[in-house]
Amino acid sequence: MKTAIFFWVKKMKYDVTVIGAGPAGLAAAISADKNGAKVLLIEREDKLGGVLKQCIHDGFGLIKYGEKLSGCEYANRSIDELMKRDVSLKLRTFVSKVTKKKDGFNLLLSSSGKLENIETKKIIFATGCRERTPKQVAIHGSRPAGVFTAGLAQYYLNVNGQMPGRKCVILGSGDIGLIMARRLTLEGASVLGVYEAKDSPSGLTRNIYQCLEDFDIPLYLSHTVTRLHGRNRLEGVTISKVDEKMEPINGTEEYVSCDTLIVSVGLIPENELPKTLDVPMSKYTKGAIVNQYYETLVNGIYACGNALHVNDLVDYVSESGEEAGKFAAIRDKSDAETIDVNFTSDFGYVVPQKIVKDSETATFYFRTSRIRENAVVKVYNKDEEIFRKKYLNLKPPEMEKIKVNIEDVSEIRFVMEVSK
Amino acid sequence: MNMNRKLKNEFGNNVKAKLIDDKVILSGEVSSWDEKVSAGLLVAKQGSRVHVVNDIVVKNLVEAKTIVSSINDKKLEGKKPDVLIIGGGVVGCAIARELSKYDLDILLVEKEYDVALHASSRNDGMVHPGIDIKPGLLKKKLNNIGNEMYDDMCNDLNVKFNRCGQYLCFTKNNLLIPVILTLPYFNLTAAGRAHFVGRKKLFNKEPGISKDIKYGLYFDGAGTVCPYGLTIALAENAIENGVAISLDTAVISIKVEDKKITSVQTNRGEIYPKMTINAAGVFCEEIAKMAGDRFFSIHPRKGTNAILDKEAKKNINTIYTSVNSFNGDKKSNHTKGGGIVSTVDGNVLVGPNAIETSEKENFDTEKSSIDNIFKKQKKAGTWLSGSDIITYFTGVRAATYEEDFIVEKGRNTKNIIHSAGIQSPGLTASPAIAVEIATILKNEMPDIIEKTNFNKYRNSFPRISEMDEDNRREYIEENPDYGEIVCRCEEISKGEIVDAMRSPLRCDTVDGIKRRARPGMGRCQGGFCGPQVAKMISEEKGIPLNKVRKGYEDSYILLGEKNEI
Amino acid sequence: MIDKTFTCIVCPNGCKLNATVLEDNKLVVTGNKCIKGIDFANNEIFNPKRMLTTTVKTTFNSMPYLPVRTESEIPKEKVFQVMNVLRTTVIKRQLKVGDIVIENVLDTGINVIATMNTEEKRYG
Repeated sequence: MKTAIFFWVKKMKYDVTVIGAGPAGLAAAISADKNGAKVLLIEREDKLGGVLKQCIHDGFGLIKYGEKLSGCEYANRSIDELMKRDVSLKLRTFVSKVTKKKDGFNLLLSSSGKLENIETKKIIFATGCRERTPKQVAIHGSRPAGVFTAGLAQYYLNVNGQMPGRKCVILGSGDIGLIMARRLTLEGASVLGVYEAKDSPSGLTRNIYQCLEDFDIPLYLSHTVTRLHGRNRLEGVTISKVDEKMEPINGTEEYVSCDTLIVSVGLIPENELPKTLDVPMSKYTKGAIVNQYYETLVNGIYACGNALHVNDLVDYVSESGEEAGKFAAIRDKSDAETIDVNFTSDFGYVVPQKIVKDSETATFYFRTSRIRENAVVKVYNKDEEIFRKKYLNLKPPEMEKIKVNIEDVSEIRFVMEVSK
Repeated sequence: MNMNRKLKNEFGNNVKAKLIDDKVILSGEVSSWDEKVSAGLLVAKQGSRVHVVNDIVVKNLVEAKTIVSSINDKKLEGKKPDVLIIGGGVVGCAIARELSKYDLDILLVEKEYDVALHASSRNDGMVHPGIDIKPGLLKKKLNNIGNEMYDDMCNDLNVKFNRCGQYLCFTKNNLLIPVILTLPYFNLTAAGRAHFVGRKKLFNKEPGISKDIKYGLYFDGAGTVCPYGLTIALAENAIENGVAISLDTAVISIKVEDKKITSVQTNRGEIYPKMTINAAGVFCEEIAKMAGDRFFSIHPRKGTNAILDKEAKKNINTIYTSVNSFNGDKKSNHTKGGGIVSTVDGNVLVGPNAIETSEKENFDTEKSSIDNIFKKQKKAGTWLSGSDIITYFTGVRAATYEEDFIVEKGRNTKNIIHSAGIQSPGLTASPAIAVEIATILKNEMPDIIEKTNFNKYRNSFPRISEMDEDNRREYIEENPDYGEIVCRCEEISKGEIVDAMRSPLRCDTVDGIKRRARPGMGRCQGGFCGPQVAKMISEEKGIPLNKVRKGYEDSYILLGEKNEI
Repeated sequence: MIDKTFTCIVCPNGCKLNATVLEDNKLVVTGNKCIKGIDFANNEIFNPKRMLTTTVKTTFNSMPYLPVRTESEIPKEKVFQVMNVLRTTVIKRQLKVGDIVIENVLDTGINVIATMNTEEKRYG
């Protein structure tokens, strides 16, 4: 009789696997563990904290801790908390593939010397975001060294201690661009100016004030960089004024001599893996479409933090991670009906985009699509107003958060009233 | 003379043509580069062996100097190779590999820091069926021969090649009969077969194609390859077979005595080759001139392509382009129509356009070029969206006025062979050009013998992300670095990057690694992996971080430690 | 008499403040929507302070530069002077978040503290 030898390789099975150990992932892992799940946290890099590792500047944690911490300190608090918990951790591990199984998912993980499969009931994507590149904003001309995205320049300077440039032009008034303007100035570089294609700054007012005005760095609104010059290292850029559609105006070109261009033109949620699982994405946020439990339209897949939508404050990122972690741990399939959250074009976006009709309240995050003064945000259930709040100032860079009673709603609609 | 009458009509008395031996020499003065080019085109006859040598001066035009490495040493001083190949493009490298089958001492010099830095990396990677080239032209012949060599060559060199085929798409019903009538012509003259495809089948094969398309022609001979990947592979295999490649090496002058090249002066010393092969791309006219053998002129023509995110790939499986008017074989189109190309690496390429230029090394891109190619290609690819663009590039084609290849021995100087005027479809034709050059060389040097130990296979490093799981695991367990992913967009491991740096041809720049192993090729364009790659170069090559280059000389990414400068 | 305009950053309103210091050092602020604007202008004119965050060289390979900050805000005019001190500082011992890197930097009465742990182990 032939004997067959069966190798039974037992795969590790987790309740919740969190991908990405930035602020969202850390919070999600901690919270899922607190709520009784067997948790795995996977991080591509060799340290926890995600982009906060290079955010040495302060201003983090005002909401969560009531303190002004640096990004590193903020991360450290979460890491401290994680260390107290029983979360399995895989660092320097890359999720190569996710496959849907009958009662969960299979993850193919690649790390130094090892390719392994693990199984998990639920996944939380906390993969953060990536920066838009110079080519994505149609900068032409040559392709020299000395052109960086703001986050890349920040990494080189803060983590490697290397100067990315001496005579810098910054394109985009996003917060990282502003922070880098100050950072480079403090380290002895000269920042010739920050150019912004929009007619209002993209970054927080606080950063305009403390990062630019403090150092007399000029901010040029309705201007953009259209061309790079130099073959080896950057030698200069062409600046053009732009019209209301942000198209460069012919004849307004101006040459600025510089050795470095730092581009801070926006962030895009990183969702390559969920896309392979056919998780529907929102065209407004570029992140997954989720319900109030941070669950995507694919059962068992959750999303939080900047992978879901780009937040202005890390506190909100942690908050969404915490919620996603909790619900991934405790929630079972719900039979309750799901309804859409609609909004007018006065809003940049509203998250969540779906509501499962089994809770009393839901927290919404939204951004205005343009600067508004004295605006009233109203939420309707059909024709019935269920929420209203007055805002003296609404600015696209600043996210707003509201809690709405959603008992017995059948349709949710966000409307903005603007007094003339 | 007829030529001069034509010129007079166009340019008055400013431009003159003179037939000397077998070339038409143009002289005079015009006010713009475009005028100079149109004068050349006016008197040139496509495919003619009587070439136009364009000596017309353009008023107030300062021609850009050839960019040469600042290195000045004697590394090659006194070298006496049997064959000196000038130019490390796909043609030069294909020639190097072909000649390495023979017992010859071969030296290839390339003025840039890497091979394939000009037209060979700056094209859409199409392996052409040759449908828009007039029969009878040398480039038609070499295209068709080269096209058929691709499967074996790429297989031997471990280079990805996808014979995906190409669709010409039509929107106008009134062209239906003429299009069908061209089938026998294409089947007779193109590489591969031509097929008529009705609307239904077309949408079946290419669901992303515009709904305006009514029918199309499918050419199964068309394919795609990574053009610089192929060039690098050819160079590496040539090195493995004994060829010496000297980078950062520019030819400065050539000594000719009694119609024979006696020595070639470079920035790295004087070389004394028995035979010189001119494969200098846009600089082939300059090399011919230095060698006392200038019988043609190059009018550079630049073209721009856009590279789209992998997500765009869902709209295209092959290559397609929409055709509005149809001339069959009657007229050659310099732009080759361009098209939308699904690349072997999973991206989508759109382009190129064609613009005459006096600047051989100006690879600047322009917004207008991107706008134009998008406008044109949107006819077939209505899905094309600017927001999918991850990057773009410009290449410069080395066109002669006769718009044909020149592959022949020197007309005046004896020990030189030219491979000149190699524009599109030069990539497709390159293996055939190499064979042609070898044939000419054998005629000139009849006593050369074939090596017995030529190894046609090139060992390239593994592509981890493309492997099946078991295979991948085996590699990772053998070398842990294959498990460590550095580039997340393209899923490239540390092991592959180290392999690229240790491959036979020098590779010590971020762009060089990018062309070999692809970190930074993806949608983030190196935003995440850039610092890791820079650090790996610094460690592998033993240089400080601030000496790590993007690519070109002095293209340092960082300026030094912050406290020290 | 000093005349200064700036944007109040206390709350998202971002009032455009106009502050005038009269000869008797009395401050007149206009453009503010609330009282916080006056305090803000007062501080910015008479005693502007800033938090300084930067990195300091270490002797550790795993972390060649350590992120640090001033424990609280320092006078604005001292920012570059403190930067100069930190530029020449080298950390040779292991530190944890909150540990003092420099005590009472430039007699400001404020310490410079580490904002990250130096040892890598801690993070994985």
